[in-house]
Amino acid sequence: MSTEFNLISELHNKTLIIKTEGYINNIGGEKIVRELEKHSDVNKLILNLEKSKVVNSIGISHLIEVIEKLNHVNGKLIFTNLDPTIEKTFNIMGLFQFAEKADSTESALK
Amino acid sequence: MGQNSLVEKLSLQAESFQEGFELLTKSNSFEELTKNFWHILRGNFITTNIHLFHKASKESEWTSIKTEGKPGDFDFSFLDKINLTPVKYFENEKYTAVVALPLSDSLYLGILFGSKLDGSGFNDFDKITLQILLQVFSSAHKSFINQKNEKKLVFELNEKILQLNNLIDTGIEISRFDKKNVLFDLAIERIVTLTNASSALIRVINIANATMDRQITFPDKLNPDDIINSRYKIEFNFDFNNKQYLFALSEKETRKGVTSFSDLDKLLLQAIARQVQASIENEYLLKQSLEKERIEKELALAAAIQQRIIPKELPRIDGYEIAAINIPSKEVGGDYYDCIDLGDNKFAIIIADVAGKGISAALLVNTLNAALYSYLEFNLPLTELADRLNKLIFKSSPPDKYITFFIAVLHSKTGELDIVNAGHNPILLLRKDGILDQIEAGGIGLGMLDLGIPYTGQSLVMNTGDKLFLYTDGIPEAMNIREEEYSDERMIGFLKNNSEKSPQDFIRLIVWDVRQHVGTAQQSDDITSLFVKRFE
Repeated sequence: MSTEFNLISELHNKTLIIKTEGYINNIGGEKIVRELEKHSDVNKLILNLEKSKVVNSIGISHLIEVIEKLNHVNGKLIFTNLDPTIEKTFNIMGLFQFAEKADSTESALK
Repeated sequence: MGQNSLVEKLSLQAESFQEGFELLTKSNSFEELTKNFWHILRGNFITTNIHLFHKASKESEWTSIKTEGKPGDFDFSFLDKINLTPVKYFENEKYTAVVALPLSDSLYLGILFGSKLDGSGFNDFDKITLQILLQVFSSAHKSFINQKNEKKLVFELNEKILQLNNLIDTGIEISRFDKKNVLFDLAIERIVTLTNASSALIRVINIANATMDRQITFPDKLNPDDIINSRYKIEFNFDFNNKQYLFALSEKETRKGVTSFSDLDKLLLQAIARQVQASIENEYLLKQSLEKERIEKELALAAAIQQRIIPKELPRIDGYEIAAINIPSKEVGGDYYDCIDLGDNKFAIIIADVAGKGISAALLVNTLNAALYSYLEFNLPLTELADRLNKLIFKSSPPDKYITFFIAVLHSKTGELDIVNAGHNPILLLRKDGILDQIEAGGIGLGMLDLGIPYTGQSLVMNTGDKLFLYTDGIPEAMNIREEEYSDERMIGFLKNNSEKSPQDFIRLIVWDVRQHVGTAQQSDDITSLFVKRFE
């Protein structure tokens, strides 16, 4: 059964910007991990979740994997445009201990 | 190599073993752990000819982890030759040393060592070093597994906190009235989050005609049949107000694929569905309460209209006594009476009853009252007045609404009565000598038809000692719990037996008698009565 999830990415030097759309579940989370793996020299990932309103814990486990991969290269993950429900979810799951958040992609790029 | 020399050499290596352990424990994955170990082995044994494999259990096949060769290049039979000890050394063979190290989570690490760069085999120092390094790896792997389990536990604990938090938040949000338009969207999003479902469906079915009222899926473009026909599915439904609400979840996600839902997932699905049910029920009850409030306001308005029309006191007529009463039933009715001083010792005595109750009946009485006052100004013959009223009521009321109406113009000096009865119950004129005249002359009820059929009038004289009794059907048709009517006969009998009483007493007593008959049954219609007695 397919679920609707799409992402687009842009690379600015060593910063990768990924914009997602749809359910961040196993499929969505895997796609984010694969996208990061395509860019081995990236040390900063900006994840714009403006069009993702629902995330489950499997999706979160993939995001933790992304954080670990970036930590390994002294990189960092910045979430932007978070829906309040998702922000609360990430907070409870402890993601902000290892990742940052910003209001927009522009402010995350600074 | 002598014993002392060996100890001395190993002592020098101790720091390197410690560093190796620290490097291994920093690994984030098993793959990284073994890759780092491979580098350590290469550094210690000065060879590139080292190949790493693993297998999930004793019976599994070996899988390559870190090697520069192809799978077909290796002879795994060497690994399978190992039984009791994890390491075996060979001379004059393809491999100089072979390791099959059991790890803490039933995994096996396999290592094939080829020849060293200088072509030599494993000496005593190498053998001890390898044993120590395997211990280091085994410890690092245990540490890695412990860390992994710890992370898993923290994740699971956070997940439970998240579920609880989500459940509370969802309950609050679903019960908020400003979220009613997104109730199902909110519920479906929360339930997939809570249960890790791949997809979900909410379907509302009208039970009476088996049609679908509404259907939403998550993700929104999904074919609902995919969920209904899914191998891994749980459902919950409830019925309310002739509708069935079905909640279905499909394919619980894990990192390794999809699986069936747990009992906890079923409970979570039920919890969310029950919250939606409570919200729908509350909304329905609120609407009902508002509707009840609206009806009550309408009835209060109708009652106010009716009370404004019903005269607070009747005019004084020389030589006559007059009394009247109007007791509305529980619902506001459409009964009406009046006695209007027309001047020149003339009085219009009126009683009317609108078919139906509520505000529409009250408004129709209001129309009748306003028109009546207007037409009486013109001193029209009563038959023409009735005809005009009929036309007006016919135009201003729906087909099922009409008014039974009686009017008598009393010339008080002479006792003459000009009468028209438009479909009302017969009015009773009880003569002094006990003879009863039933006055029916007139025509159809006002507003029933507009066919131009003229009304018929009647003239009578009310002499001293005569009594005129006007009433609505709320008196003869008043029913007790056995559905027995008070009846015309009992009413006429009461009139004959009590006609000598004052009009006030007569009215009071007939109401009492009707209530005696009705008993505990509810008053089903208005009770209206007017009693006129000529005493001079």
